[in-house]
Amino acid sequence: MAEDAEVPGNRAPLYWGLAFVTAMFGAGFGARFAGLGGIWTMLVMLPPMLLLIPLVRSTERGGDFGGCTSPALKKYNRRGLIWAFSYVGALFFAISVNKAWQPEGPLLWLIAVLPALPIVYFVWSLHRYLVEETDEYLRMRYVGQALFGLGLLLIVATVWGFLESFKVVPHVESWMVVPVWAIGLGLAQIAQRVRGS
Amino acid sequence: MRNRLKVLRAERNWSQGDLAERLEVSRQSVNAIETGKYDPSLPLAFRIADVFGLRIEEIFLKD
Repeated sequence: MAEDAEVPGNRAPLYWGLAFVTAMFGAGFGARFAGLGGIWTMLVMLPPMLLLIPLVRSTERGGDFGGCTSPALKKYNRRGLIWAFSYVGALFFAISVNKAWQPEGPLLWLIAVLPALPIVYFVWSLHRYLVEETDEYLRMRYVGQALFGLGLLLIVATVWGFLESFKVVPHVESWMVVPVWAIGLGLAQIAQRVRGS
Repeated sequence: MRNRLKVLRAERNWSQGDLAERLEVSRQSVNAIETGKYDPSLPLAFRIADVFGLRIEEIFLKD
């Protein structure tokens, strides 16, 4: 038979992913330790963000090599880069404007909502992926990952919410829902890789 | 559900990649179907049957 097909493992995305998470947390804690505030923290966080580019590229290369990618998935990954960098840019802009001009009224509302717009784009891109994906197995895998992320988010948010109500833990801003969901998505991806499914 | 994909591929000297290309799905999908980790939908099962020139029940078997 022609070259038969165990789907080969590819660790490069895992290493880039680890490098990204480590650099982001390292920069975040470093900035806090150095006593940096708003805009400066954002500036320090920008270089680690660039690691997203090799992460996405290595994921695509790995997908091509392992036969586990599709045009829709590639498009989704590219859209992921767009919203991630737009998010950082919008956050940077909103913090800068707020600090420099202390806007009030409708302008303050507009500035405050600005960083959320890339997340709206992200939700749209997630919807588009599920519509555009013609490979039903890849689509099923992604739905499973997304549901795992959602389940984790519901549990973490509910448990944390009650702990907060009983004043056991400090308040956490609600925009943390997306990172928590993304962590769940990542954990589900790792679990699928380990299980070989 | 069991299937005869591996045997049918072998008879035609096709790799999983070759079959994936014919079905317009990822190689991982073919691997998952072949190893019984994933049961295809009816439309995909029909496409698989068409590619092999067989009926669905000649490829997919009840446990």
